[in-house]
Amino acid sequence: MKELEFRDVTVRFGTGHGTVTAVDGVDLTVPAGSVVGLVGESGSGKSTLAKAAVGLVPESGGEILLDGRPVRRTRGRRTLQMVFQDPYSSLNPRMSVGDSIAEAMPRGRGRKERRAEVARLLELVELDASRAGSLPGGLSGGQRQRVALARALAAEPEVILADEITSALDVSVQGAVLNLVRDLQRRLGLSILFISHNLSVVRYVSDLIAVMYLGRIVEFGPAAEVLSAPRHPYTQTLLDAAPRVGTSLDDAVPADRSELDGEPPSPHDPPSGCAFHRRCPYGPLVLPERTICAEDDPMTGADTRPHRAACHFAADLEVSIP
Amino acid sequence: MRLTHWLNALRSPVGAVSATLLSAFIVLALIAPIIWGDAAEQTDPSALSQGPSAEHFLGTDGLGRDIWMRVLVATRTSLGLAVLATLIAVSIGTLLGVLPAVLGRRAGRLAVALVNLAVAFPALLLALFFAVIFGIGAKGAVLAIGIAGAPSFARLVQTNVAAVAGRDFVSAARVAGVGRVRLVFRHLLPNVGEPLVVNATVMAGGALLAFAGLSFLGIGVQPPTYDWGRLLGEGLSRIYLNPAAALAPGVAVVLAGLAFTLLGETIAQVVGLRTTARRGHLGVLPTLRRREPDEPTTTQPGSNGASVYDGVSTQHAAASTDGSTVRPDDAVLVARDLTVSFPGPRGWTHPVDGVDLTVHRGETVGIVGESGSGKSLTALAVARLAPEEAVVRASTLNFLGTSLPDRSDAELRRLLGTSMAMVFQDPMTSFNPSMRVGRQLAEVTRTHEGHSRRAAWDRAVDRLRKVRVPAAERRAAQYPHEFSGGMRQRAMIGMGLMSSPDLVIADEPTTALDVTVQRQVLRLLREVQRESGAAVVLISHDIAVVSQMCERIVVMYSGRVVEELPVDRLAEAAHPYTRALLGSVPDLATDVDRPLATIPGRPPDPGARPPGCAFAPRCAFADDTCTAPPVLEDVAPRQRAACWHPQSGPVAPSPLAGAEPAVDVPTRTGGQP
Repeated sequence: MKELEFRDVTVRFGTGHGTVTAVDGVDLTVPAGSVVGLVGESGSGKSTLAKAAVGLVPESGGEILLDGRPVRRTRGRRTLQMVFQDPYSSLNPRMSVGDSIAEAMPRGRGRKERRAEVARLLELVELDASRAGSLPGGLSGGQRQRVALARALAAEPEVILADEITSALDVSVQGAVLNLVRDLQRRLGLSILFISHNLSVVRYVSDLIAVMYLGRIVEFGPAAEVLSAPRHPYTQTLLDAAPRVGTSLDDAVPADRSELDGEPPSPHDPPSGCAFHRRCPYGPLVLPERTICAEDDPMTGADTRPHRAACHFAADLEVSIP
Repeated sequence: MRLTHWLNALRSPVGAVSATLLSAFIVLALIAPIIWGDAAEQTDPSALSQGPSAEHFLGTDGLGRDIWMRVLVATRTSLGLAVLATLIAVSIGTLLGVLPAVLGRRAGRLAVALVNLAVAFPALLLALFFAVIFGIGAKGAVLAIGIAGAPSFARLVQTNVAAVAGRDFVSAARVAGVGRVRLVFRHLLPNVGEPLVVNATVMAGGALLAFAGLSFLGIGVQPPTYDWGRLLGEGLSRIYLNPAAALAPGVAVVLAGLAFTLLGETIAQVVGLRTTARRGHLGVLPTLRRREPDEPTTTQPGSNGASVYDGVSTQHAAASTDGSTVRPDDAVLVARDLTVSFPGPRGWTHPVDGVDLTVHRGETVGIVGESGSGKSLTALAVARLAPEEAVVRASTLNFLGTSLPDRSDAELRRLLGTSMAMVFQDPMTSFNPSMRVGRQLAEVTRTHEGHSRRAAWDRAVDRLRKVRVPAAERRAAQYPHEFSGGMRQRAMIGMGLMSSPDLVIADEPTTALDVTVQRQVLRLLREVQRESGAAVVLISHDIAVVSQMCERIVVMYSGRVVEELPVDRLAEAAHPYTRALLGSVPDLATDVDRPLATIPGRPPDPGARPPGCAFAPRCAFADDTCTAPPVLEDVAPRQRAACWHPQSGPVAPSPLAGAEPAVDVPTRTGGQP
């Protein structure tokens, strides 16, 4: 297992006036053998970042490095593997489970060897080895996701990118897949970039958490610290909005204030200064003297702040609000 | 499965005709030239240009050759050339069609543009043009028709391949380093094969006609070889003397063309049927006769296509059995023994199987369940929106004191249209994309309350303002795609508020939204509910979402209510399923050092529900008693569970903390979900 590093990675779509910057100068490191959870809303660019890493979308700038060397994506062994969100679309319906897994294996193996390896991988993801011959049509969502995991492992990757792998599953099987991911990660020492919109899910599997907003990483740090003492108001907003048994919608949180913008900004027309300032419960819409938020980009100097937070007021987030 | 579908298709009239015709033609094409080949070439100077006679069934041509035999012998040439041309078209078309998927972005775009250009060119003109280039004769004609047919086939391949290429398994294959050729042959083509085969057969029919046309014009098959087109051309000059000479090849062309086209139809039928069967949809096989469900009821499909409520409507005064303290006459909705049945290939299935649901005025009820639990279908059935083929029955179904099964369609439309509002999961598909949002809202009052256009529009703007859509005036004039997901959902709630509803049914209203937006939409829904006094039924797979919003929670599993409890009793849920559900979803307080609780196995299909308790096969407490159906019984004040072994005590914060055998079954031994 190796360390995956995104260095100033930018991904743009479209040309001319229609250009959208989906990923905007992201610096992110997935240390060898650890799980980095990447959270953010839909459209924040978290999936695009993963797709850039595996070469499904071209990056417009920056570098993606594996142990300090650029990732090779052209020939031979694929060192990065991705597991997709929808297990109903990520397996070829006309190919047997075993063929799908065998296809991802590095070249130069005999038929017998492949078959043995398929059986081993299926058992690794807690499926019966006899499933190798069956088509995905007969499998449930949870089983399909296990096959997808086995296929990713078959390539003997250095890093796995897991993109919302539980969000298309039924609640009663999500837990089992999460357990499996954690179990495999510990046993095989995998490096994983675990992407999800669900903070609770990310919290459960991750050692480190990165929070993404409008194409940028706005906070990054050890999972427990980021969740217990967030340094970016957006992380705080996400934590407050996560539905929890035993709470009521009536328990108002800072982000419920009516003067704030309810909607995420359009990536076509990102706000000036801090991209979050119109939704920020600690920002200029609530505290008018904080004009800096609408003017200066908080990414400058983020490295010196706690959790590398992209917030001018990261150091004193706890300051009470009027 | 596959074979039976083909056999079934062969039994249908279209399939039978196409199979018969086609096999007849194939046999003819194989044997006719061998048996009659020489006879058909035999000139008979004593019988030139004769009409039908005992000796010559269809008469003779200008050289005294027997026309009937010539028509039979020409089958091989005609069909052979048509099939050859089709093969050329299909090969070139497939090649051109997959190019964009395997070439780089820029080269792919060029390939698409080329095909688009070629498609715009009339095929017959192209064929004539090629016939001149390649020279007059069979070879030229085959190439001409083949190449002329290629662009349209290429376009078809392109469209289908593009749809498949966007799916994740193709991305996964790319990530796995699968080469381009393998990508095409293992991943792309097998998944687009079906429509292509159908179109290729139809195309063969077209090629046959085109060939006959070219030969007829004299630029197809050249003497001494002959096909139906040439025979037709020769016969036509003497049509008044011997009509049969022209009619016979004409009929042959029509029959062969028909055989190809019908074959295409048959394949399409089988392919279509297989696709639906694979999706797990309850497709009604053509041979299945629609039976009534086992219970004695009578059903008439609604005249407007919607299912009708059916069943005995006995006025129920027993709404108090749910343990609620509210008086029964306060109920907005009372459903007793609600069942929704679908006809399936193996008899009826009941995705909703005897659900009791009472909603009181101003109350917020949450229905929780996994996909397939019947939670949405329950709501749809109440709102008269169940799919057309569904049969909805209930012993009682009262809305606002009106027994729904007793009312006419028009009355129901009016009652439900003004007093019940629905909010669906996908706000993009629940609005008409070609109509301004304001007009769609206005339509509601214009239809049901007869407001003027102006008044209705004003009300629509007012309602949008009410649900906090910023710049409501301007927004009302926009189209749904100009709204973000959260805004659209607000507008949907606004639409529900056009009249003053007594019941709002929200079916996974925030599942497609981000958590921050989800919170706002739910808070809005709650605010609206408090102001209008409407009751809300919130349907969700997320027990946390429901618990934040609702006073009472109904847990459904496999089409039945397994537990019903007030939200403050959630921590002491009695049904093992409810408890497992609470434990298997991580929240921000879950102990990250322990494995999550898991429920072994998967929910049963409604068609193969185990006897008794449907959860029993996945339940750690199940024993022999559980094969008898449990009924909803009080386990605590205002809390009812349908379980033979209701659990007591708090649901442990960490579900594996010890006293939870229900969820302590590790995945490793417990089978996979």
